[in-house]
Amino acid sequence: MFDTAMTWNDLMFMLRGAGVTLWITAIAVGGGTALGLVFGVMRSALSPWVTWPLAFVLDVLRSVPLLIQLVLANSFQAIAGFGWSPFVTSCVGLALYTAALCTEVVRGAILSVPETTRRAARSLGMTWAQDQTQIVFPMALRVGLPSWINLTLGVMKDSALVLWLGIIELLRASQILVTRLQEPMFILLVAGAIYFLISFPVARFGERLEKRWREHD
Amino acid sequence: MFDYTFQWRQAYRHLPRMLEGALVTLEIAVLSLVIGITIAVLLAVARDSKSIWLRAPATAWVEVARNTPALFQIYMAHFGLGSFGIYLSPYVALLAGIAFNNAGYLCETFRGALRAIPQTQTRAGRSLGMGQAQTFRLILMPQMFRISFLPTTNQMVWAILMTSLGVTVGMATDLTGITQNLNARTFRTFELFAMAAVLYYLIAKAVMLAARLIAWRLFRY
Amino acid sequence: MNPLYLLGAALGLSLTVSAAQADKLDSIISSGTLRCAVTLDFPPMGSRDANNEPIGFDVDYCRDLAAALGVDAVIVDTPFPDRIPALVSGRADVGVASTSDTLELAKTVGFSIPYFAFTNVVLTREGTGIETFEDLQGRNVGSVAGVFEALALEEQMTEWGGGAFRPYQSQADVFLALSQGQIEATVVTSTVASAIVESGNFPNLVIGGEAPFGIDYVGLITLRQEYGLINYLDLFVNQQVRTGRYQELYEKWLGGSAAPELTVPGVYR
Repeated sequence: MFDTAMTWNDLMFMLRGAGVTLWITAIAVGGGTALGLVFGVMRSALSPWVTWPLAFVLDVLRSVPLLIQLVLANSFQAIAGFGWSPFVTSCVGLALYTAALCTEVVRGAILSVPETTRRAARSLGMTWAQDQTQIVFPMALRVGLPSWINLTLGVMKDSALVLWLGIIELLRASQILVTRLQEPMFILLVAGAIYFLISFPVARFGERLEKRWREHD
Repeated sequence: MFDYTFQWRQAYRHLPRMLEGALVTLEIAVLSLVIGITIAVLLAVARDSKSIWLRAPATAWVEVARNTPALFQIYMAHFGLGSFGIYLSPYVALLAGIAFNNAGYLCETFRGALRAIPQTQTRAGRSLGMGQAQTFRLILMPQMFRISFLPTTNQMVWAILMTSLGVTVGMATDLTGITQNLNARTFRTFELFAMAAVLYYLIAKAVMLAARLIAWRLFRY
Repeated sequence: MNPLYLLGAALGLSLTVSAAQADKLDSIISSGTLRCAVTLDFPPMGSRDANNEPIGFDVDYCRDLAAALGVDAVIVDTPFPDRIPALVSGRADVGVASTSDTLELAKTVGFSIPYFAFTNVVLTREGTGIETFEDLQGRNVGSVAGVFEALALEEQMTEWGGGAFRPYQSQADVFLALSQGQIEATVVTSTVASAIVESGNFPNLVIGGEAPFGIDYVGLITLRQEYGLINYLDLFVNQQVRTGRYQELYEKWLGGSAAPELTVPGVYR
């Protein structure tokens, strides 16, 4: 089974694909987190009567398969004449999806900060902004960061779907090699191993972080 | 800006077929969750067992399920197993892939829930003369399901979203499969996929509503 | 009147005029690149070499077209179901991807005159006992979603009843499924079938008779409204045949015999 026709060149081809996977993930998570922070603070600070349109859109983004969203985004940008490359479309699509998930993480983390603590901060004469940055943020970070790490890993794995738009990322690169070399099992195992090697250490780090922070509570 | 003529009528004509697809989607999601929960309970027990022969494979299952893309897992269930001469039809491959994924995630959810149950519960069960298995089944498991009900509902929604990946292994009868098939014929991509998106949203909402009803029936004190 | 003002007005006018008239053909020539949608899991029309670079009849055809336009060719790898989305979403300018000139597709994209013609055969594994097209009745078959032979095959399977038809999202997945035994047979263009059998990658695949689907004429495709470009493509295909380049490419990628006739007797176009 390990008698393979795969060359170093082919492995490099797959690693380049993995590079694309990481690059798209980084952009999508960066953009999505920024948006998610804004939306999350908005949703926790403003009344639901004001934010319901936002809440609805984010809910749709969470309830429709990413594959469908990416196809729709791609076809919409074409119809609207944006002329985006598949790479840009993928990043935008994934970032919006990330933002929808991240908003919930942020909102959950903010809500986990006890109301009494925040009132105490305000009674000490802190402004709303001071309360947000010096009380809520550090406390919410502990709750939110482990979920955020899981979210990032989830986006990394979901980014495999951008192959649908013709981007050669890790999974698409392995499919191309399977076509040429006809060794599906071996090549797919290599691809799986690469995903695992990226994801597993980060996941472990997140778990450890969660455990350590919980002990100090 | 829009140099494109929307042809909603053409897409709308296919709605009955897409609704049939939505049913298949729901069916796969429900089955995968039931199978996933069953395996997850076994995995949760195995992962905390003293025997390495139980612990190692269970840990491997959970880590692989959680650290590789679902698309990869489904592709593997179809083409990967195929190279060993194990042929799963697209339906079974999709179901197996999602159930594999569900089991991995739910196992961790259940373990978390088990840890949240006070030790005293187990001791109370044992001192009532129950065996270890009996305590687990009658005392711990019901509480575990109650604590992890919300994450399990979320996993159900994930399962619905994952069914859309079946199209990559030749699945033609679920909502995405039917949509993509119609798309490959007519190329009204935006109209067809927009309709699919609405249907997915409605399925997800229906499931959430059903879950809330079940929770209300089962878990009221 | 201030001459500068006149100059400005003239400049403005010329800009708006050129903007209004810049069609796809102009924008390809001025951008300096021609992006061709080519299907790279469809040897010998399109595939990848040992360095994972695109090669094949369609790839060469695209490079010829780019050379004729005086621009660089960029190959955009598109599985069959992705060809038209790639064009419509502006990822590619022209599809050089063995696209059957069906009336259904012509609702969405514009076709050149045929640049190639296929006949279809049954491709199966050894030991399935499938020798003719009729033997497919009640079997598990598959093909690429939406292509000419897939539509014909699915229709036939429905008419027969029994068995199953599976649409895959790329030709590569169909061959993989077939060689593994997931499906028992597929219908595929004869050129591809012989290339696959000869490649040695799939020692267990055999050709099982002709499929009665008629000749599958394929054209170059671009956006439906780009008449200027479509005219150019028509003339380009004509020139390829006239100059003998068509025969030359045929011999290079498909072997010695005469390249298929591209005209239909008894009718124009």
